[in-house]
Amino acid sequence: MGLTLLYLSLIVLLPLSATFLKAATGGWAHFWQTVTAPRAMASYRLSVGASLIGASVNGAMGLVVAWVLVRYRFPGKRLLDALVDLPFALPTAVAGMTLTTLLSVNGWIGRWLKPLGVQAAFSPLGVVIALTFIGLPFVVRTVQPVLQGLDPEFEEAAASLGAGRWQTFSRVLLPELWPALLTGVALAFARAIGEYGSVVFISGNMPMHTEITPLLIITKLEQYDYAGATAIGVVMLVISFALLLLLNWLQRWSGQRHA
Amino acid sequence: MPEAAILRERPEPAAVRRMLIASTLLFLALFLVVPVVAVFAEALRKGWGGYVAALRDPDALAAIRLTLLTAAIAVPLNLVFGIVAAWAIAKFEFPGKQVLMTLIDLPFSVSPVVAGLIYVLLFGLQGWLGPWLMDHRIKIMFAVPGILLATIFVTFPFVARELIPLMQAQGTEDEEAARVLGAGGWQMFWRVTLPNIKWGLLYGVILCNARAMGEFGAVSVVSGHIRGRTTTIPLHVEILYNEYHAAAAFAVASLLALLALVTLAAKTVVEWKARQSLEPWHEH
Amino acid sequence: MSIDVRHVTKVFGDFAALKDVSLTVPAGELVALLGPSGSGKTTLLRVIAGLEIPDQGTILFDGQDAAARSARDRRIGFVFQHYALFRHMTVFENVAFGLRVKPRHERPSASEIAKRVHELLALVQLERLAARYPSQLSGGQRQRVALARALAVQPKVLLLDEPFGALDAKVRQELRRWLRRLHDDIGITSVFVTHDQDEALEVADRVVILHEGRVEQEGSPEEVYEHPATPFVYRFLGNVNLFHGRVEGSQVHLGEFSMEAPAELGKETIPAVAYARPHLLDIDHHPPSGRPHFRATIARINAAGATVKIELTTEGGAVVNVEIPHERYRALKVRKGAAVFVSVKDMKVFTQAHSTSGGGI
Repeated sequence: MGLTLLYLSLIVLLPLSATFLKAATGGWAHFWQTVTAPRAMASYRLSVGASLIGASVNGAMGLVVAWVLVRYRFPGKRLLDALVDLPFALPTAVAGMTLTTLLSVNGWIGRWLKPLGVQAAFSPLGVVIALTFIGLPFVVRTVQPVLQGLDPEFEEAAASLGAGRWQTFSRVLLPELWPALLTGVALAFARAIGEYGSVVFISGNMPMHTEITPLLIITKLEQYDYAGATAIGVVMLVISFALLLLLNWLQRWSGQRHA
Repeated sequence: MPEAAILRERPEPAAVRRMLIASTLLFLALFLVVPVVAVFAEALRKGWGGYVAALRDPDALAAIRLTLLTAAIAVPLNLVFGIVAAWAIAKFEFPGKQVLMTLIDLPFSVSPVVAGLIYVLLFGLQGWLGPWLMDHRIKIMFAVPGILLATIFVTFPFVARELIPLMQAQGTEDEEAARVLGAGGWQMFWRVTLPNIKWGLLYGVILCNARAMGEFGAVSVVSGHIRGRTTTIPLHVEILYNEYHAAAAFAVASLLALLALVTLAAKTVVEWKARQSLEPWHEH
Repeated sequence: MSIDVRHVTKVFGDFAALKDVSLTVPAGELVALLGPSGSGKTTLLRVIAGLEIPDQGTILFDGQDAAARSARDRRIGFVFQHYALFRHMTVFENVAFGLRVKPRHERPSASEIAKRVHELLALVQLERLAARYPSQLSGGQRQRVALARALAVQPKVLLLDEPFGALDAKVRQELRRWLRRLHDDIGITSVFVTHDQDEALEVADRVVILHEGRVEQEGSPEEVYEHPATPFVYRFLGNVNLFHGRVEGSQVHLGEFSMEAPAELGKETIPAVAYARPHLLDIDHHPPSGRPHFRATIARINAAGATVKIELTTEGGAVVNVEIPHERYRALKVRKGAAVFVSVKDMKVFTQAHSTSGGGI
């Protein structure tokens, strides 16, 4: 016990308190100014906005993927099922590089988008795509076990009462899956907000346009603006804590419903 | 769980099924399969010779060495910590347990850049301990120790998170039985607890290792990017890419891609084995 | 609506759950499918419901083939063993479900639905709980909601899968009687599955006993209990004593004693097994005349209960269980260790080919 706490304090708590204290040394006014500067606000909008879109796409597609993997059989299913964890296992830098190469105008996918007038690399769209990639496993892996463990009796009961497949899905199954789905989306969102490696290559990092918040921190560090970097870091930490609380609450909610 | 007959005999209409499968295949192909293939295709753009040359480059080799060293230190440390923490949480009740669990989850939920930032603030020249370290000529930031610390931070939840639900599900019965039969603390751990968790442990170690070798954000902040001295494989890859040596970058990156595929394969094997041995295994 | 099961076979992998099963459920009757686990009773119920498709055979509802219709279209009400109540819906919403998912042109208005739901909840005596969630109800209450839900769509047939299996004994008994009264009120054709023979014998109009995928016997509760057709039925319905022996000529020799062999058994010498229920055996200090009897020693006496249960050991070492009324026990004044005579009031002898009853009263 004591050992664990000691290890934890050294590795986590000490550095964490340093962050907050450092942010405080600049004074409240300075802190507020840094945190609300136009460039910072633009980065929040991009980071939060793109993360939300990515998480939502994963919410919808993740549900479909989980359903297909659990309910249907087709060649290559096992392989694809194992591959779903790829964004989890692949280092972010490699992902970022690869996505950029694929989506740039000469890339395998980018060249199809060019005639459509869509610019994927070095644009907010690229950021959204990268964040969708990063969050892919989260929804699928939270929904899958719930779907698998669902008692077939619910569907049988609904069918015996005259419900069609869509009615059974929307009225009986979906409500059962909501907590897991929302948890997965929240997890994907949390991951996307803080994501650096996979985004920094594809975004082009243009301030006010395609600069994500973590990059803003690094830029400030390189300029030795420690206080500024810390201020933005605090904002990110606050968001992380809020998300952690939300996730905790979500888990308790889903545990409650099935007393 | 046997498939429900109603799903076997009268599922949703074939057209709907086909559409769902098709969209899944398209989505997964675009987002997963194509990138994997692309890594290797780009890596071999300069042919097999170019591939090998990129890997033999002295800076690349230094990066590989540093990555391996980092993993060799971070993983065992976090393994031990993970076991201890999971054991304490699963088998005992104590005040502050919930706090401990949240703290363990912390590195998982903060951005890697913020994690790196935290260490800079602590150990950097202008940081808390900066002056003290300077006086004692200990270099942590922009040197290997900094990289080690940052990596340990971001990877320490992995083993613990795998083991905690597993050990909680197993309960304390086995250990109590062993104790009643006269086993001492260490014996109990080695002969009873450890075999019960071996598959979860293995999986946690595999994940921990993958993250330790592939960590980019946090290490990027603390390393100083000194080529040949403080670049890990991911950082080296970034340098090469930014200098337009794309093929070489992908060549080195392919090592990590291979590692990722091995990780996925290992996961499948571990899950299969755990199911076989009827060990309680929480779903993924 | 009557149900006709014709030569139904259902196989799961290499396990044959139902082997050429045929039976008829007349309209308006309450029929029990009784049997041990693995006997196929639940599978048969699910085949009737359309939740399983038989590999061979057909189901007819009122003479019409039901195979073309899916579970959705068969107009059956199904009550699951674990209720399968929709957890995120209130009691009201659960019961209203079947009415709300009807196709547009058939769907009643919201006020009609509400009226019907409240009627049903009154029928099952759960009106005050309409706004509760299933997790807030007891097992017995959930079961009644499941019943109300099944009845809401006015099915022609009611099917219940071990409806009281998950409840404790007292609640089971109450609900059992309540179900019988309900059936008498509504008169709907009902089939329920159970492994509890007391339940089947007490509630049903007719009992169908299943064993290893086949119908062992079909009949009223009295019929199957008093005149079991096979050894399995005899053993399954109540306690029994076994005596092994053989038929020889006109006698059945059962180790300790012999008796007149019923004529149907024939004259060959073949092995036989005789079954006697504990309450059809008696104890006396002296050998009774006119009845087969044998010696035995009292090993245990259990006088707690409606009857006195006595366990005896025969001279050959076999164990025999006898049940006698309290008055008789008091009159006999026997104790553990006493040597007495056991006499047989009635007994059934089964051979491979025949089964019949023998002994005297």
